[in-house]
Amino acid sequence: MHRRVVITAASAITPIGHGRQDILHSLTHGKSGVKPLRDDELLTRYIHSRVFGTVDYPVLYDFKRLYRKTMGPVAYYACQVAKEVMEMAGLDNDFVVSGRLGVAFGSTHGSPTVQRSIYKSFFSGDRSEYTAIGAVDYLKSMVHTTAVNITKMFGITGRVISSSTACTTSSQSIGYGYESVKFGLQDAMLCGGADEYDTTTVAVFDNLLACSTAFNDTPQLTPRPFDVNRDGLVVGEGAGAVMLEEYEFAKKRGAPIMAEVIGFACNNNGGDLILPNLNGIMQTIRLGLADASIPADAVDLISAHATATKMGDVIEAQAIHGVYGDRPHVTALKSYMGHTMASCGVIETILLIYMIAEGLIAPTLNLDEVDERCAMIRHVRNPIAERIRIAAVQNFAFGGVNTSLLIKKFE
Amino acid sequence: MTRTDIETEILRIFREGFEIDQPNPDDHLRDKHQFDSIDAIELLVAIEKYLGSELTQAEKKLAMEIRTLRQIFDYVEALAKKRQLFSEG
Repeated sequence: MHRRVVITAASAITPIGHGRQDILHSLTHGKSGVKPLRDDELLTRYIHSRVFGTVDYPVLYDFKRLYRKTMGPVAYYACQVAKEVMEMAGLDNDFVVSGRLGVAFGSTHGSPTVQRSIYKSFFSGDRSEYTAIGAVDYLKSMVHTTAVNITKMFGITGRVISSSTACTTSSQSIGYGYESVKFGLQDAMLCGGADEYDTTTVAVFDNLLACSTAFNDTPQLTPRPFDVNRDGLVVGEGAGAVMLEEYEFAKKRGAPIMAEVIGFACNNNGGDLILPNLNGIMQTIRLGLADASIPADAVDLISAHATATKMGDVIEAQAIHGVYGDRPHVTALKSYMGHTMASCGVIETILLIYMIAEGLIAPTLNLDEVDERCAMIRHVRNPIAERIRIAAVQNFAFGGVNTSLLIKKFE
Repeated sequence: MTRTDIETEILRIFREGFEIDQPNPDDHLRDKHQFDSIDAIELLVAIEKYLGSELTQAEKKLAMEIRTLRQIFDYVEALAKKRQLFSEG
């Protein structure tokens, strides 16, 4: 059984805004969400990279204590975008609790903020530190905290998938949600990812010399995907959620359809856990196209993973050129907000959906001079008004995990 | 500490800690107020703080039978008596 899968609702909290209007405003005005790294009174004094993709506006939460009591910061993000998507989708409550709606939602490692407070007891002989570990600290901090706080909030009883594959977390959420609906295991899936403000992630990349450090005084000028002066990634925070539904089901209930998911692939490089791998990435892209049953030249726009590391961008440009040639437009959306880790795949998918709907392509920010090793693909350097029919979202993660999602304008 | 003190303190904990305002003493806490095992554990921590001493595992297990606010008042009163903190007022 192969069924069509459509997106009927989407919402994101990002460093460039919360919700469609804010995000589109930032995209069309070239506004960056990269800000100075805020102090955590712990690691920031040692970190060389002083920039962070920051959600610096208030998000108004209205969760009852019944729900709040098991939520850490990452679950607040997740539940907020899930709530907005649930309201937007307007699914009948009987369906929500029927077992035919599932959740695929993840984060990089649950809530580091809560984990840090637990770890304090490890380094203190004081009993008061031990008793300060809350009864619910595990529920707040565990890796699947986002997914199950969402199921609790809405009484969702279907399958739960909680990927935690760093930068491919939420592209896997969408991909596995798509497969669950496509193959008839569920009729709808609420999919996404979230990551809270966390400096341990910055420290890890900083120690690997993979973080941007040359633009600490001008945060909006980094990251610089594909640019000759790029000097590494910028970590960020945020969340995104989409509702996937089986097409006939969505049509029957009169749901507004935003786009269609037509293909997904995920593979592993089968070796090194850090280095980008040309063959692995090209294979993922090809598998995605095969799943969608479309030729490479059917793709009009690619959202590149493009974290702005020296090597990653070159390998990705080679992979794109190797499969697609120089026909599709390529944009690097992390240039607006840095790398939002577990949420980057879903946020980039949502931005693509908005751009497809508006008929515009936002350019890669800070791409002043294209690195000649990345110059063989068709970079978007200025806003373009163009009808996009099919777009691809590429993401690659530590651990050698690669994903490719194919999104089609709904017609 | 008197019965009135205990009732006032427990009601404060319910209001400020659990956002349950003016519950009826005989309400079934789970059915009426979604007060669950997580809340019960947090309440025990608050009771320990109030009494200024730790509860034994046996005392904590006794609390798992509690269903109403009135039973919580009785439970804390018994603990206070055991610790010679209680006065009839």
